[in-house]
Amino acid sequence: MTTTRRDLLKQMSWAALAASMAPSPLLWSLPIPQRDTIAIPGEDGMIVRSFRFVDLETPVEYLDTWLTPVPHFFVRNHMHEPSELNASDLNAEGWRLTVGGEVEKPLTLTFADLSKLESHWVVNTLECAGNGRSLHRPQVPGIQWGKGAVSTARFSGPRLHEVLHRAGVKPRGKHVMFRGLDEVPGKVPPFIRSIPIEKALDPDTLIATHMNGAPLTKHHGFPARALVPGWIGAASCKWLTEIKILESEFVGNFMSPAYRFPNEPVKPGDAVKPEDTRPLTGLSVKSVISGPLDGASLKAGRVAIHGAAWAGEADIAKVEVSTDGGASWNPATLGHDQAHYAWRLWNYEWKAKSGDYTLLSRATDSQGRTQPATPAWNPNGYLYNATDQVKTHVA
Amino acid sequence: MSHKKLSAALALAPFMLATMSSFTAPVQKPESPKATDDLPSGPMQAKATTSCLECHEARIILQQRLSKAAWAREVDKMVKWGAVVDTDDHDGLIDYLTTNFSPDKPSYEPPRSSFEKSVATQKSK
Repeated sequence: MTTTRRDLLKQMSWAALAASMAPSPLLWSLPIPQRDTIAIPGEDGMIVRSFRFVDLETPVEYLDTWLTPVPHFFVRNHMHEPSELNASDLNAEGWRLTVGGEVEKPLTLTFADLSKLESHWVVNTLECAGNGRSLHRPQVPGIQWGKGAVSTARFSGPRLHEVLHRAGVKPRGKHVMFRGLDEVPGKVPPFIRSIPIEKALDPDTLIATHMNGAPLTKHHGFPARALVPGWIGAASCKWLTEIKILESEFVGNFMSPAYRFPNEPVKPGDAVKPEDTRPLTGLSVKSVISGPLDGASLKAGRVAIHGAAWAGEADIAKVEVSTDGGASWNPATLGHDQAHYAWRLWNYEWKAKSGDYTLLSRATDSQGRTQPATPAWNPNGYLYNATDQVKTHVA
Repeated sequence: MSHKKLSAALALAPFMLATMSSFTAPVQKPESPKATDDLPSGPMQAKATTSCLECHEARIILQQRLSKAAWAREVDKMVKWGAVVDTDDHDGLIDYLTTNFSPDKPSYEPPRSSFEKSVATQKSK
């Protein structure tokens, strides 16, 4: 049943699907399982890590298309989505984006202003820094992501560079701050982060308004979000409403202590002083197996072991597969679809004989980084990238 | 019966059974999970609900597996962020969380989302 609906989703135009949240008679007439599911419009078969606020993980078996359909694209919210933004108002009438701080000419842009700028596109694999957190031992607090807080889409919109050029960044402007419209509960610090000016001026850093050809949905930051390719997801601020040029890195919870990584390896369970950490930027090298699934029972014969591999700002050089628990490794075939910041799909044909197996995947990137056998534990559980593994039984 | 027809019949079977059973037995609602979950019962359930679930749902807590020291750090962080916890309840709350959500407990099994129109909104309680 699920496969049928997924096949249908695959056949549909992602743009049309994402653009229309209205129930499609074709889709709704299918027998949708009612048990053990939570109705979340536009979100298909996602793992509900939290409903209020919304945090949805892409099931690992969905990580098998180069572009992730929007209904299967993971959602990470730190707080509540902005209630005043209505994604059916495609002109985002009430929304404004201000550009200020260390600039010659502060700007206030409407969505129509933004839409007049030349649009560029980047296929980017977006991964939450906490993806894989549940796999760290000892366990650490935070959303207990499995392997699927990662997805890939074709993002488009004006270059951040062009907007900053219009505002005229003063020479002392060294960092670019993003503020989203997330609704802050209690006394929780607002979701504000900054990136260095060099990354902000990179021609691939966008103010994205579209995803896979359709306007951003509300879960993904309608009407505009930062898109900082190759970097942790938190850099790509959703519901972007303010850009401010600063002389130094923004000081706030989401720059420190959150989203920082120890400078030196840490013994699992040990505390780390803030001065011994650095802000997270680019993603690590990583691969996941999207099939066979962990615990699968397979028939002897040809079995496709497949998945995705990515490396942030670097390119994937190779993916290797082991069918004997890591004793020997075999090269996987990389998929033909590729782009600078996008994952590569990969595939390995295994002639499986009966028995119990631990299958592993290991990626290496263009910078020579290879997935380690054991993860680098850290107090907030960021950047889990140990070799992936699934256990299977072949009959 | 062809494979396709068999698959279709199997796919429809639960719905046909559900329809038939409505004639013979009282209609029962499917046991769908609630959009937002509840905290487990215990002496601090009501107070934890008031202190924690004002800002986020229970699933954020249900999925954690932490030591007592780690729970104490989380509670203190949340108090700093606006959670209202009476001084008299502080230690009891940490004990409640540690008892229910320690590393030796089996992992939380989250539900899946279904792609359908819903009146549920993100901020509904």
